[in-house]
Amino acid sequence: MASAYNPIYTDVPEKDVFALHFLQTLSNLRTQNSFSSPDNKTSDRVKKIKKAAYVSMARAAGATNRLWSRSLLHQAAKRNNKNVRFLRRKRRVTWLMRRRSNRGDPIEDVAAERLRNLVPGGGGMETSKLMEETAHYIKCLSMQVKVMQCLVDGLSPK
Amino acid sequence: MDLSGRFGARSGDGVPFREAAALESLHIGGGEEFRQMVPPENAGGFAALLELPPTQAVELLHSSSSSASQATTLHSLGTLSFPSNPLLMERASRFSVIATDNQQNGNVSGETTTTSSVPSNEHIKTEPAETETCDQAAVEKQSNRCGKRKELDKKVKSSTKKKNKSSEENEKLPYVHVRARRGQATDSHSLAERARREKINARMKLLQELVPGCDKIQGTALVLDEIINHVQSLQRQVEMLSMRLASVNPRIDFNLDTILASENGSLMDGSFNGATMQLAWPLQVMETEQSYHHRQLQQPPSQQWPFDGLNQPVWGREENQDHGNDHNNLMVGSTSLHPNQVKMEL
Repeated sequence: MASAYNPIYTDVPEKDVFALHFLQTLSNLRTQNSFSSPDNKTSDRVKKIKKAAYVSMARAAGATNRLWSRSLLHQAAKRNNKNVRFLRRKRRVTWLMRRRSNRGDPIEDVAAERLRNLVPGGGGMETSKLMEETAHYIKCLSMQVKVMQCLVDGLSPK
Repeated sequence: MDLSGRFGARSGDGVPFREAAALESLHIGGGEEFRQMVPPENAGGFAALLELPPTQAVELLHSSSSSASQATTLHSLGTLSFPSNPLLMERASRFSVIATDNQQNGNVSGETTTTSSVPSNEHIKTEPAETETCDQAAVEKQSNRCGKRKELDKKVKSSTKKKNKSSEENEKLPYVHVRARRGQATDSHSLAERARREKINARMKLLQELVPGCDKIQGTALVLDEIINHVQSLQRQVEMLSMRLASVNPRIDFNLDTILASENGSLMDGSFNGATMQLAWPLQVMETEQSYHHRQLQQPPSQQWPFDGLNQPVWGREENQDHGNDHNNLMVGSTSLHPNQVKMEL
């Protein structure tokens, strides 16, 4: 879709940005001692890699420019007991909650609720903003999937 | 959005009539349904405002369209004035396609808007132009005060507006006005609701283009279901690929930190061979690092895969062959290599 026509800003960096971030995160994982030891359970490694993928995707896509990436990084940081770095707009969230409760129940509220559960950080967003975030999230996800697919294809034996 | 929300929240305010012109402004997501009309007379600060082309107003009204950078430039202006940002002008001129697709006149070029807006900027700054500042505040998504003003404008407008379709004259307008169609309520709630719905529909179209196979589906609920399915499938794919990566991982030693730390050495060595040029940048670096290691330690390529051993040459060969297929995919950002090279050279 032409960016000139579309006023909604959902541009996503190129694939190599994602690739770089992902590989950097993976290398950080590698330097951890717990990772490369053979007695590590596969599920733990899978979880770590998955988390690395999401975090690197959030960073590559513009870490603080998007709500979903911010919330992703926030979740990841909280899990590692790091300090919260991003400022929360608490007042806007409460106002939106108040507004949303006043409205009726249109058709798309049900689906919007599901979408909110899927997209990280979707709980405090209005529907239109949610859909913007979803579009950007979908683009970044597909980019990340492509990067990981290429990586796996390259690394798997023939 | 927030602005339409404010309409509903503050509908009970009784405010004095401030504008002579029977204008109503509302910020829009799409533009096709909105009629625009010429303001009958100039009232105070409107004189300058009216001369502005509508493209700026459209830009002002696209609160959701402004990216964060745009919003910050607007913030930096301080006073609530028209955007003197040329970038915004250009965007506004592009957005004129949306707002004026119903109009007989075509788009207004960006250059004309820029020149005409500059003299009016100062004029705007002095005048407490309610709706314009409100629109801009809507773009900035910051000020509650302007939301109240805008809501007040709308209330005023709804009380004086006739319920008939207006003619499509918009070229003199600084912003897009919403006009209630025949038989529709001019209640501020419903107008805000309609604006909100327009925005949601615009984003739904955007999402429809993004998700494959969504164009043919009719009805918003099904489209949303499809979008949700797509997101879920993407997330599942990520999980699947991470599992595969985890199973593959212990065989590979990335050594990325050493690669990235010593990238200057590797890159400046000129040790690229033809195959490595096809890879993406980080993989390129890995290739050179492998050749670097290879030269340094002079270990023969082994078929085994020790954890800290030098299995890079074999892996590099695999990388070569596999990425030869999708090198065109990964080569998108080969230009990212050059800034690093330049940086290292300096």
